Amino acid sequence: MGYRTSRSSSQVTSSTPKTDSDSHAGDHRSLSPLQLRAKRFRRLKRGYYSFVLLTSFYGLSFFLPLLMNHRAILVQYNGEFYFPALASCLHDTFGLGQERVYLANTFDQISRSGQPVFGEANYRELQRTFAEEGSGNFVIMPLIPYGPNESFLDLPGAPPHPPSHLHWMGTDDRARDVMVRLTYGFRISITFALLVTVVAYTIGIVVGAVLGYFGRWVDIVGQRFVEIWGNIPFLYTVIILASILGPSFGLLTAILAAFSWVSITYYLRGEFYREKSKDYVAAAVATGEGHLTIILRHILPNALTPIITFAPFAIVSLIISLVSLDFLGYGLPAPTPSWGELLKQAKVNLRVWHLVVFPLGAMFVTLQLIVFIGEAVREAFDPKVQSRLR
Amino acid sequence: MASIHNSADSGFNAPSRPLLQVRDLEVTFRVEDGLARAVDGVSFDLEAGEVLGIVGESGSGKSVTALSILRLIPDPPGRIAQGRILLDGVDLLSLTYREMRQIRGNEIAMIFQEPMTALNPVFNIGMQVREAVLTHAKVSKAEATDRAVQMLEKVGIPSARRRLHDYPHQFSGGMRQRVMIAMALVCHPRILIADEPTTALDVTTQSQILDLMLELKQRESNASIILITHDLGVVAETCNRAVVMYGGKIQEVGTVQQIFNNAKHPYTEGLLTSLPAVAGPRDERLYTIPGNVPSIMDMPSGCRFCTRCEHVTDRCRHEEPALHEIGDGQFVRCHLLEPESKPDSG
Repeated sequence: MGYRTSRSSSQVTSSTPKTDSDSHAGDHRSLSPLQLRAKRFRRLKRGYYSFVLLTSFYGLSFFLPLLMNHRAILVQYNGEFYFPALASCLHDTFGLGQERVYLANTFDQISRSGQPVFGEANYRELQRTFAEEGSGNFVIMPLIPYGPNESFLDLPGAPPHPPSHLHWMGTDDRARDVMVRLTYGFRISITFALLVTVVAYTIGIVVGAVLGYFGRWVDIVGQRFVEIWGNIPFLYTVIILASILGPSFGLLTAILAAFSWVSITYYLRGEFYREKSKDYVAAAVATGEGHLTIILRHILPNALTPIITFAPFAIVSLIISLVSLDFLGYGLPAPTPSWGELLKQAKVNLRVWHLVVFPLGAMFVTLQLIVFIGEAVREAFDPKVQSRLR
Repeated sequence: MASIHNSADSGFNAPSRPLLQVRDLEVTFRVEDGLARAVDGVSFDLEAGEVLGIVGESGSGKSVTALSILRLIPDPPGRIAQGRILLDGVDLLSLTYREMRQIRGNEIAMIFQEPMTALNPVFNIGMQVREAVLTHAKVSKAEATDRAVQMLEKVGIPSARRRLHDYPHQFSGGMRQRVMIAMALVCHPRILIADEPTTALDVTTQSQILDLMLELKQRESNASIILITHDLGVVAETCNRAVVMYGGKIQEVGTVQQIFNNAKHPYTEGLLTSLPAVAGPRDERLYTIPGNVPSIMDMPSGCRFCTRCEHVTDRCRHEEPALHEIGDGQFVRCHLLEPESKPDSG
C-alpha cells in the first residue's frame, strides 16, 4: 500500500511539469544544428571539463594582477585608501585609466637602514613596517606577493634558486619567481593564440569564401596570389621585421596572423565549392537572393564545420609557435614573462630540475587540455552521429 | 520555327502573346572531350494558366531546359549558347544580374527534385520561407512571418506557426516538399517550374504533392506550371500539354489527349507502350525501347532517335527531320510523318 501511494504521488508530481511544458508548446523551439552540437559537446565530459577549466583559468588570469603581484591590493595609510594593484590591473589588462605607480614617498616609506626609498613603493616591506608600527595603517598583499619581473637577489645562494616555501617553483636565472612568470606567460600565450586565430580566421574565411563562391578567374588568379603569399618564408620575415620595427606583442600577432590565414582559405574554398553545388543554394538563387545573402546566410554556416573543428588545434600550434619564437629569441621583448623564454633557460640550465619540469609541465597540461577540447569539438561536429539518427 | 508555335493555342483561350516563349534555346556544357550540346534548338510556348509537362529520359535535356529559364545553369561548365527566353516579350537572357534577381522567386519560382537537399539544413523552415518573402516584398519581419505561416498552412503543414522553428531534418520528405512549394509560391510567381518534384517521394505522397500543386494553382494564383518529369502517368494526371524531349531536342508537342491517345512519334509511342496497363495481361513482359540513349557526345547525325527506332530508314540516319505540325497544335519531329513522304505503314 505504502508503495502504491508513494508511486502515485510521484506520478502526480512528475505529471505537473509535463502539462506545464505542454501548455508552453506553442512557443517551443527546436535546437539548431549548432545548439545540438553544443549540447553534444557538453555531454563529452573530458572535453567539456577541459573547456570549463581552461576558460575559467583564462578568465581568472585577467585578474592576475590582483592575485599575483608585488603591488598591494589595498593600502590604508593615514586614513586614506590606495589600490595600486587594481590600478595596474585596469591599466595593463583592460587598458582603462592611467598608468598609476605609487612612489615610495606617498607612504613616506623608509628602508630598513633608515634611508628614504626611491622609486615605486615596496609594498611587502611596507606591510612589515606598518605591522611593526601598529599605527592602524595596513597593507593587504595579493595571494602571491611577487611580480613577474621582480628579481629576488636577496635570497640566499645564487639564482636560479630551488623551490622553497616562499617561491614554490623556485626562481629563474635572474632570480624571478618561476610560478608567477609561468602564470603570466599562460595569459600571454592564450591571448596571443586567440587573437591570431580570430584575425587569421577572419581573413581566411573572407578570402576562401570569395575564391570558392565566385570561382572561375577570381579563383584562378586569387589562388595564385594566396600561393605566392603562402610561400614567403615565415622565420625570415619575423627576423627582418622584428629587427626593423623591434619585437612587440602587436607585431608578432600581426605577423603570425598574416601567415596563418592561408591554410584556412584552402578549407573554406573547398567547402564553398562543395556547398554551392547543393540544391539549397540553387533554391536560394532561384528565390532571387543576392550574392552576399547567399554567401553569408546560406553557405557560410554550412561551410564552417571543418575550420571550427580545426580551431583548437590551430590554437595549440600557435602557442607552440610563440613558444618556439621566444625560445629562439625572436619572440616577445625581453622582460615579458613567456614560456619560450623559460624553456630557453631550462635548456641552458638542464640540471636545474625546477626550471625544466615546471615550464614543460605547464605547457604540457595546457596543450593537453586544448587537445581534449579539440577532440570533443571534433566529435560533437561529427555528422556520422546525426546520420545514424536519421 | 517560331511561326509554328503561334498556332499552338490548342484549345486555350490564349491571349495574343504567350506568357513565356522559349526560342531556339541551345545550352552547351564544356566536358573533357569537347562541347556537349545538352539542349539543342528547343522552342516552346507557355500560356498563362497552363500546366505544361516536359517529359523525357535522363539526359534528354529537360532539366537543363528548365534551369536555363531561370538562368541557373552552372557556368562554367554550362553556357546558354543561344536562343531567347521571353517573359512577356522581355528576353530573360539579356537581363542584368540585378534585374534577373527581380524575376527569380518573384515572377518565376522553382521547386527542386530533392527536398532533402533543397532546404538549408542550418535554418528552421520559418526563416527559409520568411526569407523568400523578405527578398521580394518590403514588409516587416512580423508581416513576413505571418505570410509564411499562411503559406505553410495552405500547403498543408499542420500547426504551421508552431513548426516554424523546426529544422528541415525534422520533417518527412513529403512535408519538406510542401515547404519547398510554400517557399516557391509565397511571392505569388506567375510561373512555377517544378523539376521532378515527386521523384524522390513515395507514391502516395507523390499524388498528394501533385494534387496540392494543382489545387493551389486553381485556388490561389493561377500560375502557369512547367512540370518536368520522366513519369508519363504524372503528365497524364496533371498537364494540359506535354513536350516530349529526346537527345536535347523536342520530338513531339501536343495536348495531353493528343500525346496519350494519338501519339505519332515512334519515341512517344515507345514510351507509352512501355507503361504497364492496369487492365493489361499480367504475365507478359513489359515493352522496353531497345538500346540505350546514345551519349550526348556522339549523337547520330540524322534523327536523334534513329539508333533505337523500329521504323528507321536510311534517310533518318543522315538527315535530321524538322519539327512540323501534323494538325491541331500537335508537332512531331519525324520523317515518316512528313506529308510528302507519308509511309504506308506508319
